Amino acid sequence: MQNDQGIAVSSDRSEILAWLSPLEPHLRHHDIRTNRVQDVGDWLLRTEEFQSWKSGDGQGEPQKATMFCSGNLGVGKTYIR
Amino acid sequence: MCDEAGESGEDIAVACFYFDSTAQMEQSAMSVLGALLKQVVGSFDQIPKEIADVFRRHKKLIGGRELQLPEIVKMLGSLSSMQRTYFCLDALDGCAAPDLAKILLSLRDIIKISPASRVFLTGRPYVGGEVGKYFPEETIFLSISPRNDDIVEFICARLAEDTTSGEMDEVLEAEIVKKILETVSEM
Repeated sequence: MQNDQGIAVSSDRSEILAWLSPLEPHLRHHDIRTNRVQDVGDWLLRTEEFQSWKSGDGQGEPQKATMFCSGNLGVGKTYIR
Repeated sequence: MCDEAGESGEDIAVACFYFDSTAQMEQSAMSVLGALLKQVVGSFDQIPKEIADVFRRHKKLIGGRELQLPEIVKMLGSLSSMQRTYFCLDALDGCAAPDLAKILLSLRDIIKISPASRVFLTGRPYVGGEVGKYFPEETIFLSISPRNDDIVEFICARLAEDTTSGEMDEVLEAEIVKKILETVSEM
């Protein structure tokens, strides 16, 4: 079904999303968010590395578009806010 | 991380994937990229026309053909150019090596199409080599280890949820924090 602009109307929306993938990663995200302790790990978000990664817009001088945080099992990587 | 990226106020999309080493069947490169695409598409108020068109074309085919990886990558690149997109993939060590290679290559292709996109990855240190291979000069590497104040804050938050009445007092609480910090510093 299409409206005048040829854009899918909401009745198609859930069907299209289900066709794109049967997985629901946001459910796991919700669990993690629920178990996170406020402010823990926020130091990372204040680092220069994180700020420059986050604010880079792909314009001008070459930028680093990827950030890889490494750490052993259980150090809290998953729970970074 | 997904929440931090989502709080900046600008019009952005955040797509995440948490790898789980016990669920590798569901973590083929195609399923992972498909799950990312689903989230990016879902962030638009209306399904973008190019996605809806492909959906209709595929639906007409017998059995409703699935999307292939190159198509998914092309769509992700194109949609990421329309609004700033953050991809967050957690625990890369939980992904099978051949799939990880395809996923990293795909992310690299997406950034080429849409240079403002941002990719945030986590994993055990040994996966860093793989990441460096596909993003040689484009990656910021940061080592994560729990800070003492993080540990204290975490333990206190968990102790505050303790439902056993009468057993816990300030002395015992301080003792627990002290012991855990000592153990961590020896690790």
